[in-house]
Amino acid sequence: MSKISNSSRVIVCDGNEAAALGVGLARPDVVAVYPITPQSSLVEYVSQMIADGRLQAELMNVEGEHSVMSALQGAALAGGRTYTATSGPGLAFMFEPYIRAPGLRLPMVASLVTRDLLTPQCVWGGQQDAMSVREAGWIQIYCETVQEVLDTIVMAYKIAEHHDVMLPVNVCHDGNYLSYGVSRVELPDQAEVDAFLGPRDVNWHVALDPARPMAVDPLTGGAGGGGPAMFVKYRKGLCNGMQNALRVISEVHAEWGERFGRFHAPLVEEYSLDGADYALVTIGSMTGAAKDAVDAAREAGEKVGLIKVKTFRPFPVEALSAAFAKVKAVGIVDRAVSFGWNSGPVYQESLGALYRTGRHIPAISFIGGLAGADITAEHFARIIETTAKAVTGAVPDGPVWVNENDQ
Amino acid sequence: MRNSKYLIVGSSHAALEAAAAIRMQDPDGALAMVTRDTRLPYSPTILPYVVSGRSEPERILLRDEAWFADNAIGFVRGETLAAVDAAARTARFASGAEWRYEKLLLATGAAPAIPPVKGLAEVPFHVLRSMDDAVRLRDAIATARRAVVLGAGLIGMHAAENLAKAGAAVTVVEMQAQVLPGYFEPDAARMIERAFAAKGVTMEMGRTVTAAEPRGQGCAVILDDGRAIEADLLLVSTGVKPEMAYLAGGGVDTDRGILVDDRMRSSAPGIWAAGDVAQARGFYDGAKVVAGILPNAVEQGRIAGMDMAEDEGVKSFPGSVPLNTYTFFGQQAISVGLSAGGEGREVHETVGEGGKSYRRIVLEGDRLRGVSAINDFVDAGIMWQLVLRQVDLSAVKADFVARPLETGRMLMSRIWR
Amino acid sequence: MGKSFNTIQFHADRCDGCGDCMTACAQAKAGTDDLAQSRIRIVPAGGGVYELALCRQCGDPKCVMNCPSGALTKNAATGVIDWDWGKCVNCLLCTVGCAYAGIVFEAEVGHVTKCDTCDGDPACVKVCPHGALEYKTVAGIFNEYGDKEDLFAPGLSACQGCNSELLIRHTLRKVGPETVVAAPPGCIPGMGTVGYNGKTGCKVPIFHPLLTNTASMLAGLKKQYNRMGRDVTMLALAGDGGTADVGFQSLSGAAERNDQMLFVCVDNEGYMNTGMQASGATSFGSWTSTTPVGSAMKGKSTEAKNLPVVMMMHNCSYVATASTAFLEDYYAKLEKAIEASKHGMAYLHVYAPCPTGWRFSSAMTTQVCRMQVLSNFVTLWEFEPGRGLRFTHPVDRPRTIEEYLKLIGKYKHLEPEQVAHIRKSVHDKVAFLKRFAAADAAAAAG
Repeated sequence: MSKISNSSRVIVCDGNEAAALGVGLARPDVVAVYPITPQSSLVEYVSQMIADGRLQAELMNVEGEHSVMSALQGAALAGGRTYTATSGPGLAFMFEPYIRAPGLRLPMVASLVTRDLLTPQCVWGGQQDAMSVREAGWIQIYCETVQEVLDTIVMAYKIAEHHDVMLPVNVCHDGNYLSYGVSRVELPDQAEVDAFLGPRDVNWHVALDPARPMAVDPLTGGAGGGGPAMFVKYRKGLCNGMQNALRVISEVHAEWGERFGRFHAPLVEEYSLDGADYALVTIGSMTGAAKDAVDAAREAGEKVGLIKVKTFRPFPVEALSAAFAKVKAVGIVDRAVSFGWNSGPVYQESLGALYRTGRHIPAISFIGGLAGADITAEHFARIIETTAKAVTGAVPDGPVWVNENDQ
Repeated sequence: MRNSKYLIVGSSHAALEAAAAIRMQDPDGALAMVTRDTRLPYSPTILPYVVSGRSEPERILLRDEAWFADNAIGFVRGETLAAVDAAARTARFASGAEWRYEKLLLATGAAPAIPPVKGLAEVPFHVLRSMDDAVRLRDAIATARRAVVLGAGLIGMHAAENLAKAGAAVTVVEMQAQVLPGYFEPDAARMIERAFAAKGVTMEMGRTVTAAEPRGQGCAVILDDGRAIEADLLLVSTGVKPEMAYLAGGGVDTDRGILVDDRMRSSAPGIWAAGDVAQARGFYDGAKVVAGILPNAVEQGRIAGMDMAEDEGVKSFPGSVPLNTYTFFGQQAISVGLSAGGEGREVHETVGEGGKSYRRIVLEGDRLRGVSAINDFVDAGIMWQLVLRQVDLSAVKADFVARPLETGRMLMSRIWR
Repeated sequence: MGKSFNTIQFHADRCDGCGDCMTACAQAKAGTDDLAQSRIRIVPAGGGVYELALCRQCGDPKCVMNCPSGALTKNAATGVIDWDWGKCVNCLLCTVGCAYAGIVFEAEVGHVTKCDTCDGDPACVKVCPHGALEYKTVAGIFNEYGDKEDLFAPGLSACQGCNSELLIRHTLRKVGPETVVAAPPGCIPGMGTVGYNGKTGCKVPIFHPLLTNTASMLAGLKKQYNRMGRDVTMLALAGDGGTADVGFQSLSGAAERNDQMLFVCVDNEGYMNTGMQASGATSFGSWTSTTPVGSAMKGKSTEAKNLPVVMMMHNCSYVATASTAFLEDYYAKLEKAIEASKHGMAYLHVYAPCPTGWRFSSAMTTQVCRMQVLSNFVTLWEFEPGRGLRFTHPVDRPRTIEEYLKLIGKYKHLEPEQVAHIRKSVHDKVAFLKRFAAADAAAAAG
């Protein structure tokens, strides 16, 4: 059935190069770059591709992430497909124009090479940057492997530009682990990617074009008159686009699988969940080590499974509820903190999905992998052990800080 | 029934300026100009020059068809206003045509005032108010041998000059003691009279005509001293009266003319009047007068138009000032404002060498009240402004009296800058 | 918009009454040295002061209105009031209409005469040894601008007396419809240019960038239009806050990259739209709502950032300052700036005194603009790569700084030492620019 491509090439590269290769295949019009660790090599790769003529795009070396996002919004308003990548403080600096892109319904794609946020001063991996902007209105997809980084970058354009979505997409991959982690990657054929993406259609709805003059983003709202209702219409439209994205993300992943033979779980992956009493919940690159630990525990007779969250925005409530319905306890592992909830953000949001199941099951928040820390198979073994006890009601008071006692 | 937001009746200076002022403020409001005349607009002031042959009737038109088209003004000729219903805001014309208006400007001008002289109706005579009058008079002058002109106003004096130049024996009969009364003092009037006498014109000043009788193809006029003067051409130019018979039905206050305020509004809402038909405030004492002079028609027409179009820039009419410029046998007479002396007035009269020129300046305190001059050019426009603005001359009074032309120019240049 | 015409301008302060103009006119018009036949008349006003009597070629000519014979007409092509001897009846009513002594009876020739501007080459102007007469030929520019479509909607709600609306309307007329306009938050969108609640205030594409990112958004737009092979002008109409303060980083980056755009900074020295707070462009001593006047503070205690100079130090294709009191100067610079924006960054810094925020009467805006320049508080100059800095309206004998400051309410609290400070800083600023101009001139000569 599957039309597996036989024209793919196999290479070995790290996640940043894989992302750059995905960008090249998506053929953006305008790329704006500003370097920041651990994203730097990604934009270096893209710049070199443009320098070599392998990617025919306009390269803008601008003076900071704020202008990166601004210039790309300009390009998108002129109809251009755009790309950039950033991390941690760069994302923070970009925030003002960043938070505006969803409202303008600009189908931009940007990589977040995730990094822990200051302070303490830190340049290493962690998802605090991405998790901190989860209410900005961007779609957020977290990758598990180098291959998935490449594939998801390409898919992200198709998701973003879908007329039912029209929202910007962050493809997140973990700083250090995926950015610098090297592995075998299948590189799809350009013509097949072109066929997959189809004709670009970026600004059919909003444009700064003398051929169809309009005011973009006039002041809206204010008490009295229809202003606030108009504002509501825009806001609600954005929320609807976000909900539509759940369907579109699934469709695009299915099509990708059919065209290229790699079926990535679009929203939530259920791993070894059949007959499981309890499960770990993971996100991003930690999932590999977690799966190894689950496999080992299964061999030891533990009835443990794994639920991986790939799409975090829109939050896959239904898919996650369906998975939660299959187990009696969950241990939710975050690489970021929800400060006010004294837990991880995936944990915090999963509580909402649990409510949808109509069942009250024990759930433990694990916080690990901060500041570039490893969450090793051994760490996961202990996480499994703690979660197993929760099935019988032994739930720790507060979050478990996975790397708290690392030496 | 036709409709127009703005309806202007008349087509001379006041009507034309009003139309232009309306269009400046309201480019789109329906605007119609209806006139009794069958020609494109012309100035009554030009008629003596048509009579003299200086001006061809077709070359003195003030506007052409294109102007009306460009300004989206409907121009209707040959319609005489018969009645105005101020309450209903309708105007009925002699043809039976009716117009409904929102705003009406009456700029119907004046008609010759025919004195109640016994037998006058039974003899042939000329008047001069329309182009047709002018053409008839021009043609008659060519064959006239003996002519009598009743009235020594501007029309009469121009005609007398033309008749004299054509070789006729001319007699001018004026009820008052001098020519051009009201504009020039007796001394100045004498200079003008002498110029006419020198050309063979008989000047019968201070005389009235008691009767007119037919004599062959012509007539004889009988003076109050019993003399009879025969003429084969008689011109009655004893003045004009506002053309406002159409208001006989009431609803609009009239006196000698249509009474208007300083925005040219009549007593009836929606009706304005300007030009020779209007009776507006006089500058000096505030009493309302029918001025009947061209520059006033221009001013009033513009004010009326601006007010009709609700132009916020409209300024009140400053009041009528008597103004006159008159050229006779190649000589120039200019009169601005008051010429008479009197209580509180200071008069400086200068007569040039050999009595060939004359200048009279009337001051009141440090303010100019009037200037009149013959063969001594002064800028009438500047003098008019000095009078209207009541410019303080205290610092330059001696200079002004000695050299009004240069001093006036200096003052106005400074004021404008 | 009405048509403009060329005209003879008189500078009374330069006239010494020599009368050369009258001689030239009498010669040109009557072939005589008889000054009585000159149509231009210099009138002594005493004390070495001279006034002028000359036809103004009025737009609303009373002489024409008063003419019963059709002999006087306003020439629609040249603006000159033409006089036709063939129609004139010598009635002199025209002279009643003229309050300038511009049309007068001349006994020697027996009829009225008036200036006809020698068919656009007036003899009087050419002989004036002092520049007191000047033939202003800018009418063509005004007509050109007037004939172009106003691309902003009518009825923008700028404050009374605001010169920014005038500026942006004129600017966009010239820049034309193939344009994308960026109006960052401030007075310009505040007056409705970008519109409200789904309605636009402009006939070309226009948008609100952030206060911070005008230049970078335009840079991205331009990149994409270049990629598509379409020639579209990027025009920023920004305030000084969005330019000199939070907007500066993106502007500096775009200038460094020489991104193709026309960036117009409308400098009203602060955040006037939101209640007159101080910005980096607010001048020393100014009262603003965040640099108030009280017992401990006397207005802004620091100098304004001299942004046009800062921009000159970037790699822009064109940098200039301008004032709406000197529109010819602005038009010339705008033309250069539009051309330069096809190749790189063109930056125009336009001084925009604000009657609302600066506390002066709305009728005084142009006077304040003019006095800014005449006192050297601001200077009009342009910088072109390769040609350097050049003053376009040098003021060698400036009006005193007090004459400027006294016009404006936001300075009314100034104490003598603050005025002295401003006087010195104005002097220093001009001296600084003069050194640049001199060096550039020397380099060009060498």
